[in-house]
Amino acid sequence: MPAEVKQEQSPSNATSLAMMQEPQEVVEETVTIEEDPGTPTSHVSVVTSDDGTTRRTETKDMSTNVKVTKMVKTVTTRTVRQVPLGPDGLPLPEGSSPLGSYTDSIDRRYMKNGSDRFITPQATSTLTRSYNNSYNDSYGETPESQYVRHYGLHDGYADLTDNYGSLSRGVNFRPPRYPYLPNSYRPENSYTLPIRKDDYGHVAQPQVPMGSSTVDLNRSQPERFQPEPYGLEDDRRSLGPEEEEPYELEPDYSTANRRTLPGANRGRTHREPLRDGPRVRGYPDDPIEAELIDERHPYIHGMYSAPLAQPERGSMASLDRMGGRRSPSIDSIRKDPRWRDPDLPEVIAMLGHPIDPVKSNAAAYLQHLCYENDKIKKDVRQLKGIPVLVGLLDHPKSEVHRKACGALRNISYGKDNDNKVAIKNCDGIPALIRLLRKTNDMEVRELITGTLWNLSSYEPLKMVIINHGLQTMTNEVIIPHSGWEHEPNEDSKPRDAEWTTVFKNTSGCLRNVSSDGAEARRRLRECEGLVDALLHALQSAVGKKDMDNKSVENCVCIMRNLSYHVHKEVPGAEKFQDPSALQAPGSVGPQRKKKDDAGCFGGKKAKGRKNGENDKNYDTLDLPKRTEPSKGFELLYQPEVVRLYLSLLTESQNYNTLEAAAGALQNLSAGQWTWSNYIRATVRKEKGLPILVELLRSDSDKVVRAVAIALRNLSIDRRNKDLIGSYAMRDLVSNLPSGQQRPAKNLEEDTVVAILNTIHEIVTDSSENARSLIQAQAIEKLVAINRTSQSARETKAASHVLQTVWSYKDLRNALTKDGWNKSHFQPTVTATPKATKNGKPGYDDTTLPLMEKNQGTRKCGSGDMIPMDELGPDGYSTIDQRDKDCKYKTGDGSVDLTEREPLKNDTNRKHYIRSNRPAVSLVDACDVKPQPVDSWV
Amino acid sequence: MSFVPGQPVTAVVQRIEIQKLRQGNNLILGFSIGGGIDQDPGQNPFSEDKTDKGIYVTRITPGGPADVAGLMMGDKIMQVNGWDMTMVTHDKARKRLTKKNEDVVRLLVTRKSLEEAVKHSMGTYHKQ
Repeated sequence: MPAEVKQEQSPSNATSLAMMQEPQEVVEETVTIEEDPGTPTSHVSVVTSDDGTTRRTETKDMSTNVKVTKMVKTVTTRTVRQVPLGPDGLPLPEGSSPLGSYTDSIDRRYMKNGSDRFITPQATSTLTRSYNNSYNDSYGETPESQYVRHYGLHDGYADLTDNYGSLSRGVNFRPPRYPYLPNSYRPENSYTLPIRKDDYGHVAQPQVPMGSSTVDLNRSQPERFQPEPYGLEDDRRSLGPEEEEPYELEPDYSTANRRTLPGANRGRTHREPLRDGPRVRGYPDDPIEAELIDERHPYIHGMYSAPLAQPERGSMASLDRMGGRRSPSIDSIRKDPRWRDPDLPEVIAMLGHPIDPVKSNAAAYLQHLCYENDKIKKDVRQLKGIPVLVGLLDHPKSEVHRKACGALRNISYGKDNDNKVAIKNCDGIPALIRLLRKTNDMEVRELITGTLWNLSSYEPLKMVIINHGLQTMTNEVIIPHSGWEHEPNEDSKPRDAEWTTVFKNTSGCLRNVSSDGAEARRRLRECEGLVDALLHALQSAVGKKDMDNKSVENCVCIMRNLSYHVHKEVPGAEKFQDPSALQAPGSVGPQRKKKDDAGCFGGKKAKGRKNGENDKNYDTLDLPKRTEPSKGFELLYQPEVVRLYLSLLTESQNYNTLEAAAGALQNLSAGQWTWSNYIRATVRKEKGLPILVELLRSDSDKVVRAVAIALRNLSIDRRNKDLIGSYAMRDLVSNLPSGQQRPAKNLEEDTVVAILNTIHEIVTDSSENARSLIQAQAIEKLVAINRTSQSARETKAASHVLQTVWSYKDLRNALTKDGWNKSHFQPTVTATPKATKNGKPGYDDTTLPLMEKNQGTRKCGSGDMIPMDELGPDGYSTIDQRDKDCKYKTGDGSVDLTEREPLKNDTNRKHYIRSNRPAVSLVDACDVKPQPVDSWV
Repeated sequence: MSFVPGQPVTAVVQRIEIQKLRQGNNLILGFSIGGGIDQDPGQNPFSEDKTDKGIYVTRITPGGPADVAGLMMGDKIMQVNGWDMTMVTHDKARKRLTKKNEDVVRLLVTRKSLEEAVKHSMGTYHKQ
């Protein structure tokens, strides 16, 4: 669907984050061809820059139904006085970045439920590396024994950092979490615990201003910090190169120079350590630095004038944070009046500052400011900030391009497409792709792909992204994370897909671009390795029974979109066109006819079948033998995929995944070419029909709709039609509204129309199915819809079904017995508006045949149901463009809100449904053994 | 309609008489049957008890003799002209139904709705 879903964050997130966090947004937009509602994901990230500040990213992925996964990413950006050190621990002259601001970022994520962890292997390795380096370089030589004591331990180190950045984090934690967290993590804390207590002991002293006491209380409780379980994990962090200097990470230090950006100052969480600082270490203080700042850093002046280490300030800041304030001005008012936050033009100017840390802090601050603030995003654009940020993407320093990327991600999020266009106009897309190729930093890759995902939600940018980034995204992210190997060698065992954030973002981006019409589909299909990798990823998801996550959803949606119109768009498709399609859609090809009786019913049936009003063609399936394994886009429509989609339909709890999987089957079973014949038969052979029928009871509108249309396409196969007519009719009918009031499900018009059209298809050319329809008590509902529905489309569709039913003369007896007469089956006059509902008694239908072939269906396709007769084989396909367009306009924000709701309830409902599994096994009789025999007598 | 082997089966049955229709050389009843003791009862979509190997009506030709007589899809055939149909092979059942020399078959059939109707009319507590 058109759905570009963007959401910044859910309200609940907002409150929990209230403290100052600056969320980063990653937009997930989901676009799927037909009607895929994208699933919203909200990412909230908080950015705090400066010493005490914590930048925290919270990601809530709403897409998972089963468990709501919440990832919190905390990035602490601190400015620390930077004493560049050589290997000998002495200051290095050239290395001195004058500003001395130091940033370290800690990237931690944890899943809310604690069960899943997000592990980025790369991060781990980086961490270790950098850690070791720094340790050796500088610490080894450090004379102070104290120092050694503190930092000699890896854990201790980590911990401190944690304390450091954790103020907001601690606050963030909701109370209920506390109780159990400390226990589990205590072991890791053990080294540092004493130190911490020390620190906090100080905090608790009376110097803390009254006003902030509550906050401080919170803050000062060590438990607060300990709960952050993941913070202690090394692998959660990625440290940039600069961070290799251990000193910077030392809280004491950082306090010494909180002179970076004002925004950063707000964040000073760690006043306590400040006090300890001097005691702990005997470092030469920063004369150089101070000097530098004074001389070179105009923006910093204001804040710099404030005393550096004032506990009060810190607590004030935290107070602000509690209030969830983000506005710099308010913050600064409450703070020391002597300094102010830079205004937006100043921040943007700082992006061009010669000193790298200024750049990165400015970018980080910008990201913070932009979070959920469309006005500021717009201002940044108008102040020409976007080209500067894009320029910084090529900056060699990881800190700089990372922060720039973060800012771009937030800016690119939201409904204001001008921001996206602005990024594109300054060649931001190729720059992002370049950086993706270049960087190995997982966090940066997440930011890049998140930005691309955001950009991909805007139609005009989709092709640009495809042109610049398709192959790179595939090679750099999709293939490696999918576990697929191009040429597997013997010793490598098959790998499973890794559901990393990067993969999720990238697949989301591709999902969006895959809906951009035929050309986009062609490009994606022909992108080397893409289909193979997606398929592999999905298969591994099925294998691991891990099918509810967003990445799977994205993959299925891409597959569904790429399956659309395969029978027309794939190279060489002409060769597979089924000649019989030309004669009569819905009948099976001649070549099949001859072998047709062989399998299922044995000899007797041939005779019996003549009794039926139609010759039944029961096909036997003989798949073409392939000499070599299919690859690339051919995989899309190989009958093997049916099993994959059916597994997803059976196991997944995610409505979007269900819908997409049903949509894929719908697309594949559309049209008249050899492969769709195989697919239709394979669905039956794989016992897919009962699975689909069961999903008609789903609570999700979209799922019901996709399934209904899939059943319609599947019933092109005569045998499927019989089975569906016998076993699915009741479920189809039960989805119809009865009379005035809608059923409990309250399905949308589109869905009702889809169901009616499916019913129409099923009863066409099958009086048996029409009889089943009557037995399912459908006539009453159909007549009610025909007469009273407010929707012209529903009326029309219902009337077509009624006309078809009435056209079976042998059923009229039964109908009359039930009290129906011809007038019930007449169309209401379509030309006249609904209000003047007609029932004109004098309507002369003798001259006007009640049931006119074609005429009926032809008119009914106004929305997304394509009338079958009108479009021929394609009528069965799911549609993208049209549907997309119409949804696009209305969709957007509101759409995902509504979509989000059902997701939460999912688990329960699905359970309910599953437990009600129908006793009826709707399987193709002849496919199973022993074959049940069915004899006409 | 489940039963304990060796015990008599109790069921509410309806008597249905079908006049065969001559089509060329064939006499037809206009319905199809499934099931039988030689068939996989698990495949029977109509039975409640998936171990039930009885003979079931699987399809009915609209307007055909069976249809006219009121036979319905899903009916379980208990007897044909007095012959038990609950423990026969599929082919046996077919032969019983298609004897050339009989123009009329009398069926005893049972179906869920019959049972329910009886239950209701006899009161809720009645156990059959």
